[in-house]
Amino acid sequence: MKLTKILLAVLLLALLVLPAILPAAMVNAAIQMLIAALFACAFNLLCGQGGMLSFGHAAYFGVGSFATLHAMNALNGEGLLPTPLLPLIGALGGFICGLCAGWFATKRAGVYFSMITLALAELLHSLAPHLSMLFGGEAGISSMRSPAWGLDFGDATQVYYLTLGWVVLSIALLYAFTLTPMGRLTFALRENGHRLQFLGYNVHRLRVLVFALSAMFAGIAGGLQALNLESANYVLFDMRFSAEVVLNTYIGGVNVFLGPVLGAALMTFFGNAASDLTQSWLLYQGLLFVLVMMFMPSGLAGLVLCWSAQIRRRGWLAVIPAALSALITAGLLSLAVVFAIETLQRVFSQDYQALLIADQPWPAISLFGREWLPGALLTWAMPLLLGLAGLLVLKLARRQWLRLLDDEPAAGPVALRSRVEGEQS
Amino acid sequence: MEFLTVSLLNGVIYGLLLFMVSAGLTLIFGMMGVLNFAHASFYMVGAYLAYTLQKFVGFTSAVLLSTVLVGLLGVIVERFFLRRVHKHGHAHELLLTFGLTFIIAELIKLFYGNFSVEYRIPEFLNFAAFQVFNTDYPFYRLLMGGVSLLVFGLIYLLLTRTRVGIVVRAAIHRPQMAEALGHNVPLVFMAVFGIGAALAGLAGALAGAFYTTNPNMALELGVIVFVVVVVGGLGSMAGAMIASLLIGLISSFAVGVDLSLASLFGLLGAGDWAQQMGGLMTLKVSSVAATIPFALMLLILLIRPSGLMGEKG
Amino acid sequence: MSRAILQLRDVHKSFGEAHIIRGAQLELHTGERHAVIGPNGAGKSTLFHLISGQLQPSSGQILLGEEAIQGYSPQHINHLGLSRSFQITNIFPGLSVFENLRIAVMRKHGMQYHFWRSIQRYSEVRAQTEQLLEQVRLQDKQTVCAAELSYSEQRALEIGMTLACDPRVILLDEPMAGMSHEETDYALNLIREVTQGRSLLIVEHDMDVVFSLCDRISVLVYGEVIATGTPDQIRADRRVQEAYLGEEQCA
Repeated sequence: MKLTKILLAVLLLALLVLPAILPAAMVNAAIQMLIAALFACAFNLLCGQGGMLSFGHAAYFGVGSFATLHAMNALNGEGLLPTPLLPLIGALGGFICGLCAGWFATKRAGVYFSMITLALAELLHSLAPHLSMLFGGEAGISSMRSPAWGLDFGDATQVYYLTLGWVVLSIALLYAFTLTPMGRLTFALRENGHRLQFLGYNVHRLRVLVFALSAMFAGIAGGLQALNLESANYVLFDMRFSAEVVLNTYIGGVNVFLGPVLGAALMTFFGNAASDLTQSWLLYQGLLFVLVMMFMPSGLAGLVLCWSAQIRRRGWLAVIPAALSALITAGLLSLAVVFAIETLQRVFSQDYQALLIADQPWPAISLFGREWLPGALLTWAMPLLLGLAGLLVLKLARRQWLRLLDDEPAAGPVALRSRVEGEQS
Repeated sequence: MEFLTVSLLNGVIYGLLLFMVSAGLTLIFGMMGVLNFAHASFYMVGAYLAYTLQKFVGFTSAVLLSTVLVGLLGVIVERFFLRRVHKHGHAHELLLTFGLTFIIAELIKLFYGNFSVEYRIPEFLNFAAFQVFNTDYPFYRLLMGGVSLLVFGLIYLLLTRTRVGIVVRAAIHRPQMAEALGHNVPLVFMAVFGIGAALAGLAGALAGAFYTTNPNMALELGVIVFVVVVVGGLGSMAGAMIASLLIGLISSFAVGVDLSLASLFGLLGAGDWAQQMGGLMTLKVSSVAATIPFALMLLILLIRPSGLMGEKG
Repeated sequence: MSRAILQLRDVHKSFGEAHIIRGAQLELHTGERHAVIGPNGAGKSTLFHLISGQLQPSSGQILLGEEAIQGYSPQHINHLGLSRSFQITNIFPGLSVFENLRIAVMRKHGMQYHFWRSIQRYSEVRAQTEQLLEQVRLQDKQTVCAAELSYSEQRALEIGMTLACDPRVILLDEPMAGMSHEETDYALNLIREVTQGRSLLIVEHDMDVVFSLCDRISVLVYGEVIATGTPDQIRADRRVQEAYLGEEQCA
């Protein structure tokens, strides 16, 4: 517990000094990470804590964005709401939309709920370009940040601090919410909504409120995005963004409060970093997501907790061999996959195919700073060999991990969860 | 009158096509409780496979071959992916198939590029079946409709007239009971999943040549197919048929209707006022055709939550 | 003592063609322990679902005190002071035992929508939850995940949750189902203890439990209450022996 607090303090400190270290272009990436983190955290209130899997959460993010932009245009940073407070409008927009949509969607549970949220988002997505008053048609709407409180919000650094402030505050509020009576009920909602009714709770109303709160924080994230980009268009409502937050959240791990924050920040970071290096980032993201769903349902955060529990039990030294072989496995396997995908991507790309001349051997492609001939055996043997090596080390890593676990009877996901959420006394 | 006839024909045929995809989805859901997000991806894979294969083996064989291959893909997905996470519950299965959708779409982009491919109707099928009000009506549309009807007939006979069908229906209603009676339910699940996928693949192979074949087709159709199964009632074959036709007809008619809410107010004598209001009021039905299925779905969920033919849940 | 706190007047329930409850009449007196027994499929669980608001009767009246509650939502009925347990354990499996009970306790304090104050600061809730933990003898398990409890402990937790809102009327649906002998004894004492001063309606198959625990017994056969009386009266009732015990001997 103490360690967590120290780590969080260090993280916060790092975030505070970040703009001083980073080049200006990276500050913008950092802003996007923060926004994605808040969005995922808001989404997780609904999905991880409330047990309601929404496939259309980008709608509320988008509504928050548009609401904030309209407020920027209407108020010009004057009046009651100076620029730094504008995300409040996003929150309001998200909350109201969340109330309406939530009232509707929460009438059904499970798969039906997911389908309704999907349909609502799609409805908005296909309607938005035609409502030019609200969403500015295909072009969208734009605005300018007005100076306020002696700041001009002209450069990325000021926007960064503004975003950081809002994100930290919102995440803190979301965490505080989990400790309140209503927050505790949200967990119960996920576990067994039926039983709650017979304990005297109005389950539908509770579901709607949780939905609306989640939409509200998504709206704040949208508002921050609006402040950052100073524009928005209906593409925000695209299924892609709804999907993205689902992926990020689950990759991070839904059962740990900060899991989605971790997942979203990492994914956005790598997405930014990889966008220059690969055209297949979405494929990697999808692969990672499927891997997480199949082999570690508690996500990256679950993985971190698992390892840290082992470290606490046995000390650093005992864990190192297993950790090392796990790292090597992960490294080898991802290298194999990356190698295969990137080779294929290059060979099948349009530019490359245009280079081909009939009856001539295919020219080499460059990858990892080397030239590879598509006709050569080695090019295709590389990923296979890497993969095989990875699988061999995986066997070793598995045995070592099982040895670490051997005298601990219950280290399953359930035990993990009880430790995470059972904290009260 | 021309508009009416053509829209009617097109709508019915589009609806039949929707049915071919949604039949598998609703069958799988009714049986395994899994809402397979990747189902429309099977449709897309079918189209791309047929596009690739037809260069080598000709159109007809390509369509048949890709149907079988997509069926196999379905079997693999069920056996090696879904079955592994079955213990984590349905939401988990839904999420897994959701992830698979992503992977499939990205792989397609990787191999074929992020644009539509030149998948065309072969010459020998590209002729007019008959004339409607002096315009040629393509034979290929009729072919698609015919194949869908054939599929519907086959599934119906399979489910109602054969021993396999009886086991499948038993497994839908009482999986444990069917298992206790000595039927290999996992095998039945796998087979149904495979058949469902194959149907989607067949639909894709056929429709891809007529409409467009691009990496977004899965998502676009996928959402509509979800609407179909929810409107029809998850798990109900007849519901899927009715809802498919309904949505097919609505989509086909809506694109030709130039009315708006303002025209409705015009009937009440408030047309000018409504025109001035703008916004939602002046939106033409044709321009929001894409939203109508979703609106219909929400309406259905509100007044009849279990869908048109769904059992009361 | 004999005033009725819960009354069923000519209650019917059909599912399509199937007529499950056929004019059930029942009176639960204030402060008594009353069992509903009957062969399998007699409609005992359906009866509980009707009373607790899970299902709505097709016709007839259900009175809680003076108020007709048929067709009310489960939470409304709970607010009026009627609380139930379930035949199949119905708890929050992923939450700790303490949390399970605390959620049940919170309702009484009307805290459903409190989001501005940490739950830790409601000392009353905490005290009551601890008291309840002690009552159902789960103090040692309070931090354990409910899913990891033994079966009888889960049943005890279920009873604890049912009691948490301090109800006037308690419905227990087969609380001893699937328990061993020792567990049954433990649960029997527990039920006897915690239902002190409340009215209890219980469905139970274990006749030893029924006859030792209850003041009165009603026999439900094919959706009708064919007899109500003290354990001795029921033992002696010929119709009961024919309809119920007789059938069980055949089976």
